[in-house]
Amino acid sequence: MLESARDDLRLYRHLVMQQVRAQAQYKANLATDILTYFCVTFLEFSAVLILFGPFPTLAGWSVGEVALLYGLTSICFGFAELFGAGIDLFSETIRRGEFDRVLLRPAGVLLQVATSDFKLRRLGRITEGIAIVLLALRLLPHGLHWTAAKVLLVGLGIGSGAVIFISILLLGATFCFWTVETTELTNILTYGGREMMSWPLHIYNAGLRAFFLFVVPLAFGTYLPACYLLDRPPPFGLPPWAGFAAPVTALLFGAGARAAWSFGVRHYQSTGN
Amino acid sequence: MLRFYVEVARSSFRRLLIYRWANLAGMAANVFFGIIFCYVYIALFRARPTAAGFDLRDTLRYVWLMQALTMVVLRFSWYDLMLTIRSGEVIADLAKPCDFTWYWFSREAGASVYYLLYRCVPTYLAGMLLFGIGLPGEWRVLPAFALSLVFGTGLGIAFRFLYNVIAFWLLEARAVGGMASVVALFFAGTYVPLPFLPGAMRTIALWSPFSGMLNVPTEIFMGKLSGADLLGALLLQAMWLVALTLLARALTAAAARRVVVQGG
Repeated sequence: MLESARDDLRLYRHLVMQQVRAQAQYKANLATDILTYFCVTFLEFSAVLILFGPFPTLAGWSVGEVALLYGLTSICFGFAELFGAGIDLFSETIRRGEFDRVLLRPAGVLLQVATSDFKLRRLGRITEGIAIVLLALRLLPHGLHWTAAKVLLVGLGIGSGAVIFISILLLGATFCFWTVETTELTNILTYGGREMMSWPLHIYNAGLRAFFLFVVPLAFGTYLPACYLLDRPPPFGLPPWAGFAAPVTALLFGAGARAAWSFGVRHYQSTGN
Repeated sequence: MLRFYVEVARSSFRRLLIYRWANLAGMAANVFFGIIFCYVYIALFRARPTAAGFDLRDTLRYVWLMQALTMVVLRFSWYDLMLTIRSGEVIADLAKPCDFTWYWFSREAGASVYYLLYRCVPTYLAGMLLFGIGLPGEWRVLPAFALSLVFGTGLGIAFRFLYNVIAFWLLEARAVGGMASVVALFFAGTYVPLPFLPGAMRTIALWSPFSGMLNVPTEIFMGKLSGADLLGALLLQAMWLVALTLLARALTAAAARRVVVQGG
């Protein structure tokens, strides 16, 4: 078990490094790509700053607080995009019948799918997220007093949130075994989920809040950590330390997605052409 | 010849009728984003009743009109033309006994009519049902709105044509296209209503061709533009439309002179 996990990790690193080296061949191209991605995502973020021109607060949260949440969500989603984008393209793999070839190779199926589209330019979004968090810390009127627990929670939250985003992609890919028209629906939970998590959860109605806490637990990734950092009470009377449960929710959701995926792989019938 | 272009538009309209589920899924995404933005504005307007002449109901109508009209005017990640350039199929279209630019304009116009009927109207209806925002404006503004939407759709087509045709010079033009799309969507008003932009940024946005794509039709429908302002906005739209179309034709002509096709 441990042996095969180590082999998988080595293979993963090998497959990713192969693409990294290929993209690093065109250094100027890569630099402009990352910069472009940074600018585009930053333009999206500027909407937050613009709205806080005419409006002083968003349901009690100041611009610095919303920006902090927005930046954390960007970093979280950036990691998910960096490591999971290959899964997002899965409908293409199925449609072209390339999945047959993937199945024939003596290596983990998920491993091959996940590494099929590793793009360094996605570092642009993570960079943007870090820049926004730094900006947010300056915008907070009293700054932020970091403790070991806060640092730990932010790390756990970002990691768990990324795992949940990737699990959503995996669920979307699983649907591709039966129908190819699912990318748009997955987009609602990935891009839509990112947009939704970029704003404080308490502005939404109870149904949406409960959905993103207890069904697709994305709120554990960045909203609960942000509440903890900013001394805000979490929703539904959850205890302030509820964010520390993020890895548990991510593992549960990820295990569910993984099980669905394995079921799909076992029932895969080729497009047959 | 006009009948040919109408036929091209009709066939692209009919082709889209097949993808019923894709359209429904896309509409679900539009509605989801509409819901998010509505909650953001409901929370923001708790702090003050109006901003830049918009109250909460105006803003929610603006949000839903944007979600409803985006696919009519600015279909993002539209790379159909770029893909024919990369694969070389473009040569078949260039060789057709019709005008290349008008051919693509008619194709896209047909698609826009499809999205007006099957995406725009149901999306706005969903907004009406979910947030009780009512119709965006009075019936008497409809003729001006219709004219402005035709101009806006033309602007959207010309703009998308422009960033696609770059593929004649750049092999991987998708990155450029992606950036162009986000800039256009931003300055058309889909991220923040243009009236909320700060001073200089708003001026630039309102004079840019992007405002004419979505913001102008939306503001006209909502009755925010009237009299001389309305005429000025329509005139600016028309001027940008002529300019972008001429540019599109010039670039096509330049590309057609240097196009070399691989293989047999």
